[in-house]
Amino acid sequence: MRDLTRFLSEWLADGGRRIGQVAITPIATGWELRHVDNLGRTDLPVKTSAEDARHLANLDDTGAFRPLKTAPNLPHGWCLQLPDVATVRVALEYFYPAMVGVAFSHRLGKLAPVSLRVTLGRQTGMYRVTQKITDEQARAMVDGFCAGCLKHRLWELEEPNATPAPAVAKAFPLLCQEACNLLVAEARKVVKSTAT
Amino acid sequence: MLRKPDSALVIAGHGSTLNPDSAAPTYDHAETLRRSGLFGEVHCCFWKEEPSFRQVLHLIDRDDIYVVPNFISEGYFTRTVIPREFELDGPVTQRGGRVIKYCDPVGNHPRMTDLLLHRAVEVAPEVDLSQTTLFIVGHGTDLNENSAVAAKREVERIQALGRFGEVRNAYMEEAPLIGNWHEDSAYPNVIVVPFFISDGLHSYEDIPVLLGISGESLGAASVNALEVFKRNPYQLRGRTLYYASAIGTEPLLADLIAEQVAAFDQQYGVINPSAAAAVT
Repeated sequence: MRDLTRFLSEWLADGGRRIGQVAITPIATGWELRHVDNLGRTDLPVKTSAEDARHLANLDDTGAFRPLKTAPNLPHGWCLQLPDVATVRVALEYFYPAMVGVAFSHRLGKLAPVSLRVTLGRQTGMYRVTQKITDEQARAMVDGFCAGCLKHRLWELEEPNATPAPAVAKAFPLLCQEACNLLVAEARKVVKSTAT
Repeated sequence: MLRKPDSALVIAGHGSTLNPDSAAPTYDHAETLRRSGLFGEVHCCFWKEEPSFRQVLHLIDRDDIYVVPNFISEGYFTRTVIPREFELDGPVTQRGGRVIKYCDPVGNHPRMTDLLLHRAVEVAPEVDLSQTTLFIVGHGTDLNENSAVAAKREVERIQALGRFGEVRNAYMEEAPLIGNWHEDSAYPNVIVVPFFISDGLHSYEDIPVLLGISGESLGAASVNALEVFKRNPYQLRGRTLYYASAIGTEPLLADLIAEQVAAFDQQYGVINPSAAAAVT
């Protein structure tokens, strides 16, 4: 059995203090999470439930929906105080879904990056058409679309990304093992726009 | 009573890149089940949001994993997309020392009928049901989904109970159209329950417009959008109309998700991960 809470505990014990745009600080009663831009603020409303993170992460500062949680648009103006690492883990699943587990699998050597061609190649239904995207279109799409995401891409068009993934350090790595559905949907738009 | 402290439950939903409320019922049911302590851990994953179907296995500690689709019926997602994305071999997949057990979608559970009844009575508590038409509203023209079949099945079951004056199917985009509700109902009271897994533009806006209880675009998830469920009853076209939110938002659905796990064990037996380790 894996133990992601222990993995997270060890990271925090080693001085890990940041994941994406969330700063994590030890406090007398446990751990405090807030936007990295709000570290000095003393006027923030305090939340105390890990489930509050779900609602904090759902909309950006303008009230717009955040379908991609690793986009750099985490809202400001909140403070989340949690009693232990187990609840921090739950909160992080809302702020940065799957990122702790993906990094853990990567450390264990159990994360297999999937190239964009393989991801598109298994699509069916309305996304099957994405297989028609040209290499040139795909590279331009990835360069543009993925620029709005904090994750480090472990994949390329045809093969794994040769650039080594960032290690688990004071800033926790956000790793992308394969194209997300948002990018697949974007590929459909690219192909459809070419066809018309 | 079902207790699975050594197992993880994964609730697989559709999610949305546009609607901020699409994932909400899946998260709500997960939080309910997490608090219940029935499972060692409970997680969500989504087709359109994160964690994705591809990511979710990485965030699970336990090796014994039940996957329950939070879908209203069998169809393209439960038969093609989820098995493909999870790389499933069938109902039981043994891989890398883990066992992944793929359960039926929650909408297939026989007690969905009870939930629809519960929701209908809850939204119209003082109403004489014998003088009431109940509409179960589906999308219609769904791409190879069986939600219309499931909705018809539920209508037949509720009708057979004999509690309502009549129980009818209606759809947004094919006959019988929900827009004709006043012509297709024979009773002075009308209850409308959307047969969807989450609230969104269909239940906030499209169906209310077709019913005639809302004539404007309110926008998904706005406070105004939620008001449409709070203004019951509507006096309209000589009837008293009650409008409920999507059946998938019903809190009791969490029980059915757990029961799909129990049903899986009953059908396939309890397979533990150590057996998988011996195979892989």
